Amino acid sequence: MRAAGMPSLISKAPGSTDRWSVLLSPRWCPFQARRHQHLPDSLRTARGLTSLLPSILQQPARTLTYCSLRNGKRKTVKAVVDRFLRLHNGLWVRRKAGYKKKLWKKSAAQKKRLRELVLCTRTQCKLLDKMTTSFWKRRNWYVDDPYQKYHDRTNLRV
Amino acid sequence: KERRRGRGRYGGRKCGRGHKGERQRGNRPRLGFEGGQTPFYLAIPKYGFNEGHSLRRQYQPLSLQRLQYLIDLGRVDPTQPIDLTQLTNARGVTVQPLKRDYGVQLVEEGADIFSAKVNIEVQRASELAIATIEKNGGVVTTSFYDPRSLEILCKPVVFFLRGQPIPKRMLPPEDLVRYYTDARNRGYLADPSKVAEARLELAKKYGYVLPDITKDELFKMLSARKDPRQIFFGLAPGWIVNMADKKILKPTDERLLKYYSS
Repeated sequence: MRAAGMPSLISKAPGSTDRWSVLLSPRWCPFQARRHQHLPDSLRTARGLTSLLPSILQQPARTLTYCSLRNGKRKTVKAVVDRFLRLHNGLWVRRKAGYKKKLWKKSAAQKKRLRELVLCTRTQCKLLDKMTTSFWKRRNWYVDDPYQKYHDRTNLRV
Repeated sequence: KERRRGRGRYGGRKCGRGHKGERQRGNRPRLGFEGGQTPFYLAIPKYGFNEGHSLRRQYQPLSLQRLQYLIDLGRVDPTQPIDLTQLTNARGVTVQPLKRDYGVQLVEEGADIFSAKVNIEVQRASELAIATIEKNGGVVTTSFYDPRSLEILCKPVVFFLRGQPIPKRMLPPEDLVRYYTDARNRGYLADPSKVAEARLELAKKYGYVLPDITKDELFKMLSARKDPRQIFFGLAPGWIVNMADKKILKPTDERLLKYYSS
């Protein structure tokens, strides 16, 4: 018999009904979980779900849903919407990785380069277009949009 | 030398699937996966490009060129006050209230060829567009429509068929009050005397003679404006329009009258 208030980091065998005190199981989840995978059926039957640490249960699901269960529609990957901006001409804008990390060791020129907004390559744009639905590709007429003039290409020679 | 054919429907032999591996066996990983390396779309840091996008107001642009085109083709009648309903009926603009559209904005494209005297009511207008319309002897007003009133304004018949009384148009939110009380934007809540001053100032700025609309024969039409709580010209809030019997029902209860006239 384990002590009543001792959480274990090793995941328990499914079907076990040991109960840990709720106070000891952490409530936070270390992952930026957008959607959680459903619990396996064997664990669902156990009422004492606090026996496993939530961090192991809640894993982010990064798949692209081509046909959703409820509506049969394609779903957007929210990770892409959080990080990128789609211009109406098809280009995607992004930040440079590391623009706010360890700035003390970076030179001024390097910091300036990292602060700039950058466009994505053709393959990257195609990938991001596949991960988002047509809602994110519509033309938007925001008030005082800083990117308003970039939605259209000018003097483009093919 | 001829290409060897696989025959059969779908191409035959390897059926365009390649040779062995995940490709042929249909076990390729999900889109964006890079074999375990942090994928590109996760390696980039988050930045609030799309933050609050569903709360940002949008205004469908209406160029003066398009407006001139509609008037020339006769789709929009310049002898009547031009409203968003008139523009929608003429299919001049398409407004989608559900996509956070708050109305129409006037854009300067076609300012040099514009020559029509109109009484127009939009939701936003740029300075040059206002100047062009006033130079031709017209009147511009900017007014606010909350999303529910905007939907009713764009599709009036569908609303009348619902059988609900026409609601009061709501007043603008805090950040827009300043815009609509400013005479330079010809806001509907601005002081009329200040609007007249602003017309003169704009005429001086752009260097044209401001035509006197009081001496115009269409002055009554040009000066027709809506009450801040009114959605349609000629219909007051609280009325029910019966499309089938072609009748209008007005409330008689004093509490209702008090509510709708406040």
